[in-house]
Amino acid sequence: MLFNSFQFIFFYCIVTLFYFLVPKNIKWLILFLASCYFYMAFVPVYILILFSIILIDYWVGIQLESQENPDKKKWLLGLSLTANIGILFFFKYFNFFNTNLDLVLAKFHVSPWFPYLKILLPIGLSFHTFQAMSYTIEVYKGNQKAERNLGIYSLYVMFYPQLVAGPIERPQNIIHQLKEEHPFNYQLMNDGLKLMLWGFFKKLVIADRLAIYVNLIFNYPWLHNGSSVVVASFFFAIQIYCDFSGYSDIAIGCARTMGIDLMRNFNRPYFAENIQEFWRRWHISLSTWFRDYLYFPMGGNRVPFGRLILNIMVVFIISGIWHGANYTFLIWGLLHGFFMLVYILLSPYLPKPSKNLFLRRIQRIVGIGITISLVCFSWIFFRANSLSDALVLIKNLKSIGEIPFRGGATSNFSHCILAILILFIVEFSMEYLPKKYQLYHSGNRFIRWGALTFTIVLILLLGVFNGGQFIYFQF
Amino acid sequence: MKKKNEVIRFFINLGAFLCVLILVDQLLGRLFFRLYFGQKVGPFHQITYAVDSAKQDIMVFGSSRAERHYSSTILSKNLGYKTYNFGVAGEKIVYSAALQEVAFKRHIPKILILDINPFDISVDPTKYEKLSILIPYYSHHPELLKYIKEIGDFEELKLYSKIYPFNSIFFILAGATLFPNKQDKDDFGYIAQSGNMSAKEANQFKQRLLERYTNLSTAASPTDEKAKGYLIQFLDLAKKNNIKTFVVISPMLFSESYKWNKELDQKVEIEKIIKRYPNVTYWDYSSDTYYNNHSEKFTDMLHLNKEGAEDFTNRLSMEILKALKK
Repeated sequence: MLFNSFQFIFFYCIVTLFYFLVPKNIKWLILFLASCYFYMAFVPVYILILFSIILIDYWVGIQLESQENPDKKKWLLGLSLTANIGILFFFKYFNFFNTNLDLVLAKFHVSPWFPYLKILLPIGLSFHTFQAMSYTIEVYKGNQKAERNLGIYSLYVMFYPQLVAGPIERPQNIIHQLKEEHPFNYQLMNDGLKLMLWGFFKKLVIADRLAIYVNLIFNYPWLHNGSSVVVASFFFAIQIYCDFSGYSDIAIGCARTMGIDLMRNFNRPYFAENIQEFWRRWHISLSTWFRDYLYFPMGGNRVPFGRLILNIMVVFIISGIWHGANYTFLIWGLLHGFFMLVYILLSPYLPKPSKNLFLRRIQRIVGIGITISLVCFSWIFFRANSLSDALVLIKNLKSIGEIPFRGGATSNFSHCILAILILFIVEFSMEYLPKKYQLYHSGNRFIRWGALTFTIVLILLLGVFNGGQFIYFQF
Repeated sequence: MKKKNEVIRFFINLGAFLCVLILVDQLLGRLFFRLYFGQKVGPFHQITYAVDSAKQDIMVFGSSRAERHYSSTILSKNLGYKTYNFGVAGEKIVYSAALQEVAFKRHIPKILILDINPFDISVDPTKYEKLSILIPYYSHHPELLKYIKEIGDFEELKLYSKIYPFNSIFFILAGATLFPNKQDKDDFGYIAQSGNMSAKEANQFKQRLLERYTNLSTAASPTDEKAKGYLIQFLDLAKKNNIKTFVVISPMLFSESYKWNKELDQKVEIEKIIKRYPNVTYWDYSSDTYYNNHSEKFTDMLHLNKEGAEDFTNRLSMEILKALKK
């Protein structure tokens, strides 16, 4: 079930209504059943995979808590991580591994060892396995008590708003909330619905609109000049942001209406002045996951420089591969690792933020411009259908002076520009203006309702209603 | 008690907001309706005429290749019947079937020309999404609902909104309203394209297409059975009304285009279907060397320019005359 579907609207209304109507002690059950239904709307049988992960980690959590022996605790943690990563590897990376193995074997004239799997990737697998792993790691570290109620633990892994595309939550933030009573709260309901509306706007009006242009360029790289590639990579940067942060907004808003607070996943990343800041603002739940469970355990940045290079590159390579079993994602990760290293190396020599307001603004604009350019360049690899396509697109960049392709449908390009302009105005006001100047939160009801009505009118007028699934579902 | 008050407050506010929203939707919807149906020139005027008024004795159906390849004036002059070209850019056989059904309720023509392409019946979900241009007409042509439902599962529900029928056309509508003189003027549905490709451009384009062909997967493009059904529906309706029908693949710049697009199977499918209809004559100009590689006759790979199109219409109408005399 996609968030951008009428099925979801009906589903959400019914679940939320029941959630507030039933007694406190069975609220979790409503959410659990709803989450099962939500997941089974994709490929029903895959819920068995989800349950197997849940059962293993639930058991490991309880064993970890009662175990005193550090070696046995490590063994238990290893079991949980192996089970999660094993399932992830099997479904997501096995065929990729097999292809590469076959290439190596062919060099030695050896016939293939393993057959290829003809299976669909369970939707959102990378998200819920990572969320499940964060539970066992936190129990192992002693930061979280093992959850005894299997229903609550299951709900932690499969809470429907964030089940298939995050935010990847931590047990400390969410498990206790699933047990608490959340009576109807006018303010939270209001805020949640507004956030959901903005999420729908980002997905339907911006992401899916830009996708029409982006797909024309990236699916036919041989036919387009360098200017079109530049425009398409910029459009894709906005598309993927609006697609993913739109999903996160709907998820966070949906949970908020029920009184549950999910972590923030995006903080207007394209206002970042450098690549380090970009990663503090982009997909925060995944970045902090890698930081806490991979980068810090490897020593973080308190290590010799050679080791720092290794730590950063490992994190970014894994981050790239996390997105998909394709060399395009690997290169995307490598590029970001490289950008990060260059930034760390250069940062002592970069000018400090100026106290002069005008100069500070110039510094900010230059920083944002450089960061966006680097990020857009890396998105070419992320979006390209294959590595050879990415190379064709980059080769085409030499014809950068030509007039860019304006898109198939006559008015689509104009709609894209309008959509980006609206996004910029809203994000700019959120970034630099106090909350009272934000239209959705204005003290004046006329302005507030006007802004909400205008958003819905724009969705009806400019939204793409058959745009399909969210990009991050495939991860 | 506080909780109960909050719930009541929420529902009162929600109800009031929905009332405002419905009011705005109705008002803006009516405004867009007036703007849309008040067009005197431009693409929406052309579609409105086709849906509501066209009564000519020769009807041409198809995509942009129909719209730009068949001069209504030349056909009328050479064949002695008034002609209207129903072709619309981006639309495929489903749209032609919808317009044929609507037009036949008003008038049965003497001659039908269907410009067909293998991509009409290959799998491409956008062919159904593009039927959204029919939504504004649903209010006075409820028979179009069958086609509108092909767009998506909840289209009927979306029709409760008065703004939604004008989704995605804001800039075209604004342009046609504010700058009517800058709109393409059609000749009974036919829109001539000016300019031509240079031989160098055509060659570069051919190289890129070849590169694409070698990089695409070897699998042939699958056939869209539903679209095939609409082609059969179109031909059935023509047969039922005993109309002499010409199904034509109009000229292409490169004879290998369908091979490069992996659409040869669909071409064979079309030919098989057409053989079942005695009232149908089929001509394939896609590999006619009179046009192939003659970039001076084309504006792009798929579309003839004005000179090319008028020359083609003249040649085609001579062939039609011969066929009619048999």
